[in-house]
Amino acid sequence: MRKYLLFVGIVFILVSSLAMVPMVQGADFSGKTIKWIIPFNVGGGSDVWARLYSPFLQKYLPGNPIIVVKNMPGGGSIIGGNYFHTRVKPNGLTVFGSSGSTSFPYLLENPKVKYDFSKYQIVFATPVGGVCYINPDLGVKSVKDLKGFKKPLQYASQGATSLDIIPLLAFDMLGLNVKAIFGYKGRGSGRVAFEQGEVNIDYQTTPAYIKNVRPLIKQGKAIPLMSWGVLDANGNIVRDPVAPDIPSMPEAYEMIHGKKPSGPAFNAWKTFFVAGFGVQKAVWLPEKTSKDIVETYRKAAAKVIADPEFLKVVDKSLGGYKQLAGQNARRAFDQVLNVSAEDKKWLINWIETKYDIKIK
Amino acid sequence: MDVILQSLAVVLQPTHLLMLICGVVMGLSIGILPGLGGIVGMTILLPVIYGMDPHSAFGLLIGMVAVIPTSDTFPSVMMGIPGSSASQATIMDGYPLAKKGEAARALGAAFTASLIGGLFGALVLTLIIPIARPIVLAFGSPELFMLALLGMSMVGVLSGNNPIKGLLAAGIGVMIGALGDAPAVPEYRYTFGIDYLMDGVPLVVVGLGLFAFPEIVDLLIKGRSISEVPTLGKGWLDGVKDTLRHKFIVLRCSVIGVVVGFLPGLGGSVVDWIAYGHIIQTTRDRENFGKGDIRGVIAPESANNAKEGGGLIPTFLFGIPGSGSMAVFLGGLLILGIQPGPSMVTEHIDLLYTAIWSLALANVFGAILSIALSKPITRLTIVPFSYLAPFMVLIITFACYQATRSWGDLIALLFMGILGWVMKQYGWPRPAALIGYVLSDNLEIYLFISVQRYGIEWFTRTGVIILAAIIIGSLAMGVFYQARKSSKAKASGERHAK
Repeated sequence: MRKYLLFVGIVFILVSSLAMVPMVQGADFSGKTIKWIIPFNVGGGSDVWARLYSPFLQKYLPGNPIIVVKNMPGGGSIIGGNYFHTRVKPNGLTVFGSSGSTSFPYLLENPKVKYDFSKYQIVFATPVGGVCYINPDLGVKSVKDLKGFKKPLQYASQGATSLDIIPLLAFDMLGLNVKAIFGYKGRGSGRVAFEQGEVNIDYQTTPAYIKNVRPLIKQGKAIPLMSWGVLDANGNIVRDPVAPDIPSMPEAYEMIHGKKPSGPAFNAWKTFFVAGFGVQKAVWLPEKTSKDIVETYRKAAAKVIADPEFLKVVDKSLGGYKQLAGQNARRAFDQVLNVSAEDKKWLINWIETKYDIKIK
Repeated sequence: MDVILQSLAVVLQPTHLLMLICGVVMGLSIGILPGLGGIVGMTILLPVIYGMDPHSAFGLLIGMVAVIPTSDTFPSVMMGIPGSSASQATIMDGYPLAKKGEAARALGAAFTASLIGGLFGALVLTLIIPIARPIVLAFGSPELFMLALLGMSMVGVLSGNNPIKGLLAAGIGVMIGALGDAPAVPEYRYTFGIDYLMDGVPLVVVGLGLFAFPEIVDLLIKGRSISEVPTLGKGWLDGVKDTLRHKFIVLRCSVIGVVVGFLPGLGGSVVDWIAYGHIIQTTRDRENFGKGDIRGVIAPESANNAKEGGGLIPTFLFGIPGSGSMAVFLGGLLILGIQPGPSMVTEHIDLLYTAIWSLALANVFGAILSIALSKPITRLTIVPFSYLAPFMVLIITFACYQATRSWGDLIALLFMGILGWVMKQYGWPRPAALIGYVLSDNLEIYLFISVQRYGIEWFTRTGVIILAAIIIGSLAMGVFYQARKSSKAKASGERHAK
């Protein structure tokens, strides 16, 4: 019994020490504890991302505050996002880590969403890429062969309102006859389904692509088709450095249709691509945070992403993409915020009619 | 072979050994605390491993997760409260044994079974690595659906004399499992606008609500100690002998444990029930199951330790976790800079063997420490329960609150507790409800995927037909033994349903 008591006691002390967080004066964080809200479970992609970043951020924020990752999972990150919006004070002691799964319900105007990215200050952002590949048994050698390709394809999907909007809409724009099979629990199980032959077209984010799909390509069990691409400094989508010999999605479109992509479908795709990949994960300070604090954070972030030790971490665990700090992150995310109501409406209508679901 | 021995040398280095022992001690403590399991342990350790060398980190993490199913037997046997989701089935016979004053024997048997099961899991893991990929790939969604169905068929033997009640209870469980976000369409079910229900009711809340809460209430009403006899009866050595005598049960259930562990998607929380159901189905003289049959302790305990070995396979080779704790472990791998995938067998084979050795050693340490602890701890069963109850209530609410850390957890616990108590009072089999709850997601998802992908054709796949035959066979065997037994003697009372 004594053991239980001891345990409970320790927990008490830990919890109460977390609760005693004083205010910041100026932008020096000495002796302070900064809470980084991650609206997902421990061990998930966003959690790992925050834990990789936090020791470096700790090093470069003035006063070397302690950074604690606080997981607040629920409702596909909506619960954590709403908490940040309604409860967090703008004193620089709490930041929020969003992910594509946080931005999508916001873009799709999910009625449960209370948070509003247009009001917050972005500190830095992490992009990720995606590479699409196909089963070689279909006779496709490259994306060119998809012109007029009408054979039925299957794609293992997590849901029509998830990050899968990017692949599903891309398939549709390329004129492919893809049936989405819903119910898979993540890209990992989608990849296993591909290896099993349960589905024959799939995509993976780049870290998983490098470790898990490249071996399949070598064995002749998969053919890479295209990457979604990455954003360049001007906001254009260009080839992914991880897969430089295959076209990006806009290039693939041009190869198949003979013209550059445009119109509401592409505008919507691009918006969601930026939200889901281009700035997949981002750190935010709440509304009304003083300029001083925002600038302190942004400077620290700029130092983090230039640290050679951190670049090693980026290469090893974050896909090797150039991290975006301060204004770069803001400019990239502006593409998400500036989406026209028309394009958004087009996309919602597309999902609702194509997959026969009601979003609102 | 060289790599295997080299890894052993790494594992036996003092720093690594120290990490491993830290992990084991932590895992044992978490296992003893009701409701806390591998997920909580992993969550606590994950921030610690940043910057650690992978071999040491593996010692810590795997040492911790390997022994949780060893020590979680304490509360299951002694108080009828699941120590973690892996030991729920141990309650069925372990707790009646404790009531008879044979807690020490039950624990001795359980720890020996855990030890052998854990070592067997490590051995199978070593042998299976080269052929694991094709085996995992052979199980598509239709086959996984059939496996979930096989799990559901265990409801039959767990419902004793009243299969209708069993089926209905399982149905209630499936309905509880259906709360929250639907697995295959972007919709929320029965959330009534409550944010807490968006993700459904967590497993730990359902498990503790159905099993722990009613037990505490009843013990308090009776106002006595857990053990109905004042002495502690047979010692742990008898338990060890029991396990060694039933060595084939241990081996069979270890195989079940490894297989369930390494098939992604079935989830570790049913492995103990599957082993328990299996042992009842295949035993002739089953009058005593549910009343304190030592075999009912040995079966789930050998399976749940073997499961951890199996669970590492999909995590390492495919990057898809087989259980909640493996999902967190996967995050740990990424923090260490290891991207799981086929390259684990080529680039990181040394790490893989480090994991296996850690698993084996942790099981040995865990079993020895647990046996050493069992003597003082079993004395708790003769303490009047009114002294223990406040602690138990505190610990259970604390464990539930760990699930999502919102008030909803506590309210849900109250609801589940009342449901469990009512079910217990009226002789409704709670295990059936729990199995229904645990499997409801899998049943729905895999059936949904199978039908979308293959139409009606999914039923003609070879794997599906084989699994269907196994299900029908095991059901028939159950009915056959049941009929023979009832014709011999009209046994009375609710046996397994209790």
